[in-house]
Formats: sequence, C-alpha cells, structure tokens
Amino acid sequence: MAMSEGKNHGSGNAQSLAEQGPIALLEDVRNRGRVWEDLAAQYGVTNPDPPWKITLDATCDILAASSNVLPHGQVVPGSCALPLLERRAEEDELAATLYADVAYPERTLLALAHSMIRHGLFDEEELARQIERVGHRLKEV
Amino acid sequence: MSEHHHEPAPMVDEVSDFEILEMAVRELAIEKGLFSAEDHRIWTEYVHTLGPTPAARLVAKAWLDPEYKNLCVTDGVEASKAVGVDWINSPPTHFGTPSDYCNLRVLEDTPTLKHVVVCTLCSCYPRPILGQSPEWYRTPNYRRRLVRWPRQVLAEFGLQLPSDVQIRVADSNQKTRYIVMPVRPAGTDGWSEDQLAEIVTRDCLIGVAVPKPGVTSNTMRPIHKAVHPVEHGHGH
Repeated sequence: MAMSEGKNHGSGNAQSLAEQGPIALLEDVRNRGRVWEDLAAQYGVTNPDPPWKITLDATCDILAASSNVLPHGQVVPGSCALPLLERRAEEDELAATLYADVAYPERTLLALAHSMIRHGLFDEEELARQIERVGHRLKEV
Repeated sequence: MSEHHHEPAPMVDEVSDFEILEMAVRELAIEKGLFSAEDHRIWTEYVHTLGPTPAARLVAKAWLDPEYKNLCVTDGVEASKAVGVDWINSPPTHFGTPSDYCNLRVLEDTPTLKHVVVCTLCSCYPRPILGQSPEWYRTPNYRRRLVRWPRQVLAEFGLQLPSDVQIRVADSNQKTRYIVMPVRPAGTDGWSEDQLAEIVTRDCLIGVAVPKPGVTSNTMRPIHKAVHPVEHGHGH
C-alpha cells in the first residue's frame, strides 16, 4: 500500500516540498476550482468559511492524533499518520511557494492533499480516481 | 412537510472542485484505514458543540419517564418547557428569528424505524432547543442527497443501518421543526438523567448518529490512535 512508507520523504531526501515541484492533479484543482470567497460573493452568502472547512479541520486533527495536544518533543515518531507540526510546517512552506496565490482555506486543503501524497499516504492516481467518484456522486442531483 | 412561505437564506448553489477535493481526501484516508467515517464525524461534532443541549435533556427525561415521553411525542412545544424552552414566548437561546418559535415535533425512533431531519429548501433547524446548525446541514450535498439516498448518506456519517431498519426523512419548514428521539441504547440501565443527556449528542438529535455509552459531545477532546502508524523520515 502506498501509505506504508514515507517514501518520498526518506531521510536521504533533503528536498523541500516546493523543490520537489507541483503535483499535476492539484494544479488542475487549483486552476479549475472556484474559491469560497468568489462563490460567497456571487450567491450573496455571508458565512466567511466554506461548509467543508469544518470537515477539513477534522481531517487534519484526526490525522495528527495525539500530536495535537502533546509538546512536540514528546510526539513518538510513527504514532500518527501526519503530525501536527510537520503538516503545519509544510503548509507554511507551500503557502509561501507553490500555493502562494491561492486563497485561504483552499490553500490549506491543497497543502494537506499535497503533504499526504508526498508522505505516501495515498498516491496521485488514487486521489484522481476518488475525485472523479466524488464529483460524479455530488453532481448527479 | 416541505411547505415554505419565506425566502430561503442565500446558498451557494454549485459544487466546487475544492469541495470535491476535501471529500475525496477524507474518503481516501478512510479507505486507507487511517480513520473511520464515524471517528471523523465524532471529531467534527466535537468542534461544533460542547455540552448537552436542551434537546438532549428532553430525550434523557423521556427515556426515564414514559408519561413525559408521551407528551414529547404528542406535544413537543409543551414538552420543551420542562427543559427551559418556551417556543412561543421566551426563546432562551436567542437564536434566529420569530419564525423559529412555532412548532416542534419529536420523532420517536424504534428498533426498526430511524428518523433523520433535513431542510431540503434551505436550512430550517430547531435552533432554540438544539443550537446553531452545523455547516454540513446547510450544504446542497446533504439537503439534496439525504432524501434520495438516505442509507448512503447516513453511511457517510459512519452510521450503517441494517437493511430491516426503515429510514424516514423529515423535511423541516418555516413552521415545523423536528428533533429525533433515538432508541435508548443498551448498557445504560440505572443511569441518571445527567448521564443519559451526555450521550444524546447533536448528531443523534438530527438523526445522523445513534447514542452510545461512552460517546459524548462534552468529554475530553477525542484522541484517535493511529491504525497503521507511519514512520516519517524527512527533515524539516
């Protein structure tokens, strides 16, 4: 399974996420997707956050497990899928580089998907298939 | 149940690629065994609500008192007074508009009948007794799909119902709001009203979850242990 190893982030690989380059699938989403700020303005909605932000936050939290609440030094390596500080550091890096022109919270979502792919939790092809399945499901009504 | 006589609140009426990406990431993580749909729902609910709502208290009282339970089912507005909510005169939670304070119906689940609440037109919700609606309740995704494929949508919340359980979807409207009275779960014999109220979480009252001993909305922050721990070797 793609998630079993942090294969793209092995200890011998010192490249930053930005140096490893963009991920084509996520570039597509970024280029095609309409951000909440624009959608809310178009439809006259005043909620500052998109409805999916709450579930995105939950995904980040649950992947980080106990690293959400433990001091960084006490987080046991491998005790969770994606430690909080690691993900946040990567999000900061990506927000300053590859996704510098993407609005919040869309860039948090792109950064999470980016980190999960680079960490080998799933791969780009798997995510592409899932996007297609979900898109089909949500748009059939 | 779906008559409306007021203008619905503005709603983003299209599915964005970002909304799809969020769901795809979440579902793929579930498929990979990193967490379950139900774990995720518990986590999402936690960040939305803390502490038992008046509606939870109503259900807990009804579980303990058959007479009160009968009142809940026949006259939800009158029954609400016992938990401090007067729908007609004094909305205690100060949520929403006067149009909220009209009529409450309590939908009683049985072992073979599961109720779940939606507002297909906008986002009508029993705010005086249940607080603010969660964001997902207001999405076209939930509103449109629940009435067509309730079993599938409930499964996405981590609630898999046996095929012999009938699902009834109640569509809220301007005058009438609904809460679900779930079946009292096994393992709660001898419990006090306070103990019972704690397990009747917001999602149980909407109907997308069922109460379970030990699962409360006001416990400590839930900690999800890694199912398949992953070793990361990168050096940031």
